[in-house]
Amino acid sequence: MLDIDDLPNPNRLRRLGRAKEKPGVVTDMNSMVDMAFLLLTFFMLSTTMYRPRGLEIAFPVPDDTETRVKEVQAVKASQALTLIAMPESKLYYYRGLPEASSIKSLSYGKAGLRTLLQKFIQETPKAVVLLKPHPDCVFEDLVTLLDEMNISRVPRYAIDKASEEELQIMRSAGIPVPNP
Amino acid sequence: MTPMVDMAFLLVTFFLLATTFKTGEVVWVQIPRSVAGLNLPMTDLLTISVNKDGQAYLSLTSPATRRAWLQKHAQVNQIQYTEEEYRAFEAMSGFGVPTAQLRQLLQMPSEERKRFKQAGIPMKAGNKNELADWIILARVVIPRLRIAIKADATTPYKKVEDVIKTLTDINVLRFTLITQPKGLDDDARY
Repeated sequence: MLDIDDLPNPNRLRRLGRAKEKPGVVTDMNSMVDMAFLLLTFFMLSTTMYRPRGLEIAFPVPDDTETRVKEVQAVKASQALTLIAMPESKLYYYRGLPEASSIKSLSYGKAGLRTLLQKFIQETPKAVVLLKPHPDCVFEDLVTLLDEMNISRVPRYAIDKASEEELQIMRSAGIPVPNP
Repeated sequence: MTPMVDMAFLLVTFFLLATTFKTGEVVWVQIPRSVAGLNLPMTDLLTISVNKDGQAYLSLTSPATRRAWLQKHAQVNQIQYTEEEYRAFEAMSGFGVPTAQLRQLLQMPSEERKRFKQAGIPMKAGNKNELADWIILARVVIPRLRIAIKADATTPYKKVEDVIKTLTDINVLRFTLITQPKGLDDDARY
């Protein structure tokens, strides 16, 4: 077996004037190293650094459905922004009450949604954002919307459902709306 | 040699402390990405995985609570499970079959179980919502249970809505949507 820590050479020690020094104890560490690396490989392969993380959401108490509707209605039209997520990553918004002329298209991401939200929050005291994902849009759309709410620190927002009237108004504005 | 041993043991210690053991996933989902997000606890966590087709799967973190969970389930549904079946349930990280099929799943050898296509826990079985029943039982077993939805980025929203409705109907009003991190300026989507 190969020893890296070789026994001190008596001749060399004598030359250095340390002839009386005792030779050190040599431990064979090869098997220990083998074991350490085996354990290391085992832990590297069988464990993961992944920790689940996510977006916290809270829903209103369902018994209060009536009061919740009142609350939403009590919001002044000027304080409300509605975001409607449509399939194929399409996003529409309007401020206040829905009108065919006020519904506009928007892009997800920094240039579209985030800029709009930040401007809206700045100029509107007590801002409320309503998120209305269409049943046919994908889960990622909801996550992106909730994420933007967190990034822009929207004080109040709610997940709701687009009403049939809203969808009708969108259709009359020439926006293709699939039937849920 | 000595520094190498030191380094090897240092790395072993690091992996021991900083990582957790991999658990087999009952279903693979492509998690959506988000900028914001909080770390979830590694214990007392019930994950509802939802695949592209909207099929729901449940996994509870620790094996000991899984046994108590199945015991409660057996008690409520008046089913008798054998000791082997309890052990199989403890060993499974997650499952997604209707109650009627659970025994069959538990009796399979583990290799066969991995290959078995689980069809998801039904949310509308007659007038029963089995997913809701399982979640209620998990909350009975662990009072401070955290609930998370791990849905695929491309799952239609209406399917996720069904799961969210299941939760809000049983008064679970605060839960987490599992995401993976992305940069603040990253606008890429799936």
